[in-house]
Amino acid sequence: MIDSIINISIELWNWFPPGWQLFIEIIAKIILIVLPLMLAVAYTTYAERKIISYIQVRIGPNRVGPRGWLQPIADAVKLMFKEIVLPTNASRFLFLFAPILSIGPALAAWAVIPFDRGMVLTDIDAGLLYILALTSIGVYGVIIAGWASNSKYAMMGALRSAAQIVAYEIAMGFALVGVLMASGSLNIGDIVEGQAGGLSSWFIWPLLPLFLVYFISGVAETNRAPFDVAEGESEIVAGFHVEYSGMAFAVFFLAEYANIILIAALTAIMFLGGWLSPFEGFAFAEGTWLAATSMLWFFAKTSFFIFCFLWFRATFPRYRYDQIMRLGWKVFIPVTIVWLFVEAVMVVAKIGPWAV
Amino acid sequence: MTHSTGHSASLDFPQPEPLDLSSGKYVKLWQGPQHPGITGNMSLELTLCGDEIVECKTHVGYLHRAFEKLMERRTYIQNFTVVCRIAVPEPTFNEYLYAQAIEELSGIEVPERAVWLRTLNLELMRLASFLMWIGGLSGAFGQYTVPNWTLAHRDYVLDLFEEMTGARIYHMYIVPGGVRAGLPDGFEQRAREIMDSTEKLLVQIERVMFNNTVFKTRSKGLGIITPDMIDPYGIVGPNARACGFARDLRKDEPYLAYDQLDFDVVTDNDSDAYSRAYCRLQETRQSISLIRQCLDNAPTDGPFQADMPNVLHWKVPAGETYVKAECTRGEYGYYIVSDGSEYIRRVHVRGPSYTHAIAVMERLAVGTNIADIAGLMVSLHTYPPEIER
Repeated sequence: MIDSIINISIELWNWFPPGWQLFIEIIAKIILIVLPLMLAVAYTTYAERKIISYIQVRIGPNRVGPRGWLQPIADAVKLMFKEIVLPTNASRFLFLFAPILSIGPALAAWAVIPFDRGMVLTDIDAGLLYILALTSIGVYGVIIAGWASNSKYAMMGALRSAAQIVAYEIAMGFALVGVLMASGSLNIGDIVEGQAGGLSSWFIWPLLPLFLVYFISGVAETNRAPFDVAEGESEIVAGFHVEYSGMAFAVFFLAEYANIILIAALTAIMFLGGWLSPFEGFAFAEGTWLAATSMLWFFAKTSFFIFCFLWFRATFPRYRYDQIMRLGWKVFIPVTIVWLFVEAVMVVAKIGPWAV
Repeated sequence: MTHSTGHSASLDFPQPEPLDLSSGKYVKLWQGPQHPGITGNMSLELTLCGDEIVECKTHVGYLHRAFEKLMERRTYIQNFTVVCRIAVPEPTFNEYLYAQAIEELSGIEVPERAVWLRTLNLELMRLASFLMWIGGLSGAFGQYTVPNWTLAHRDYVLDLFEEMTGARIYHMYIVPGGVRAGLPDGFEQRAREIMDSTEKLLVQIERVMFNNTVFKTRSKGLGIITPDMIDPYGIVGPNARACGFARDLRKDEPYLAYDQLDFDVVTDNDSDAYSRAYCRLQETRQSISLIRQCLDNAPTDGPFQADMPNVLHWKVPAGETYVKAECTRGEYGYYIVSDGSEYIRRVHVRGPSYTHAIAVMERLAVGTNIADIAGLMVSLHTYPPEIER
């Protein structure tokens, strides 16, 4: 019985022409990445509400399903059935296009993220460049949303976001240049392999300033507290998405959390050795699952950084917009440039971790 | 200790040039009446040049319920339901002042025990109000953890109120001639426990909020009240004390049992939002200490109410009086005129919110960033219902 089903399936598969087979394979892979990602996004919102609740001595969502586990599903259903209100003077096309522009890059960037050795949708050599390019496109969604809403509050949020992204993209890019110099490759898989050898070989140690700059810039890039000036609740109400409702708003929401997970995953990959085990080379872990490379390490590291995002939000007030710019231009960019110089000297002189 | 700028101070601050709104350089933006950064129902009409505010006009009237007029059409005892609505988060000060004014007019002596219970009630109210304010300021700067902590602890204080007065928000505990009830059994011990936990909370708040770099960069240098503004604008309370003016009615003209309590006037010198917040944090601590002293010293027996006529047909002797007390925001005054009938002839409430939220706000907002409006507004500690009493 089972054999015949397998045989029929194989025959069906072979019936497709080879081009189609490749196409179906890619679609299946994309679905395998996007569906769990969407689920992760939904449960990141749940985690956020729960973790922040506990920090704030509250209980958080606990009504829908056991311990509130169905809360994100209920939220999604609610948002789907809500009306999308189009402001009278809004630019209709841009208004509806902005959320798509916002979520597109947030999902597309996952194409080059390796979850485990070889477990990646497209193993391209310019992966790092691809990610830098895509994460910068995401901000257009915010800017266009602010512009198309035809609202002063939304416009201010969009302007702030634009200015902020320009400052932090540069710092972020420079931080990644440091990773590039350390690993000698733009391929993300190679970057991870370059950190093989356990906890002490991770790039976080030689590139500590760049790691801090990268992660903080990542928080700024995703418009999260303490850099959430684009939506500053007590200042410009909700900023760029003040006019959005229903699914259009939900898409912005999804994009924001997908970006959080992306930045957390990238930080884990660039500085904490992605899927590599921290116990590689330790005598006690030799030969056990602790020392083996695994997807679990990648998810654990990513989860830690996601937790940091939520932690920051619960403990930091919001920076003022000009103070953010000062931090970006006057602190982060000089720090990265100086450290790049130090790193370059070390690479050329073959001292420290680059004495190959 | 009290500074004085004398009578030479005047209102001729440099007036701004009228703005050319058609030049395309400015943007008009309304904040309120339902803006999350504005405390209550009032709105600010802001003229922006980029992110900077070049002009700020305050608009009130969204909450006008004509409290003063309402009180002229009610008997003296009925008015207690009106006065406590004037400043919602701290009704007790209104109750006390109104009762005090009536007592002065009709010459009623308040028993010693009632004096102490009133002091205790007012200080608990001050504590609850400051807790709410500290959370509010943190929320205005975009940090929502401290508001949750302080509101939780404010609830404990409200629990105490419930035990003491039977109500959580509008107590109507202080009545002419004394207070409505004595303390319930075990109140003292529970109050001390809550004071201890609140004191621990304040240490945490100081670490999370006041030592936070972002909070410091946001609030230091924001909304500086210069000493020459104090007298012309009538700035009182912690806002004035944060400029180094040690003005506190509890010390300057002691009322109730304050002359028997041990405390110092809290002052600071930076007169910015951070300094105002820090002053209030210290005053919260001071309030806890005063509550403890009240619990120590309050007599446990004796009458808590003077002999009173039938309040339903009560005619207060003709006359007029002005009574004042230090509420959380500064000097709070009631001016009452009685014509000897069952109804009040005229009442005027002098609340510090009026000057702080309108004149001072309009002045301080100019030149600040749009992002700081919420923080500035909250740091002045105003209640819109009190503006429009």
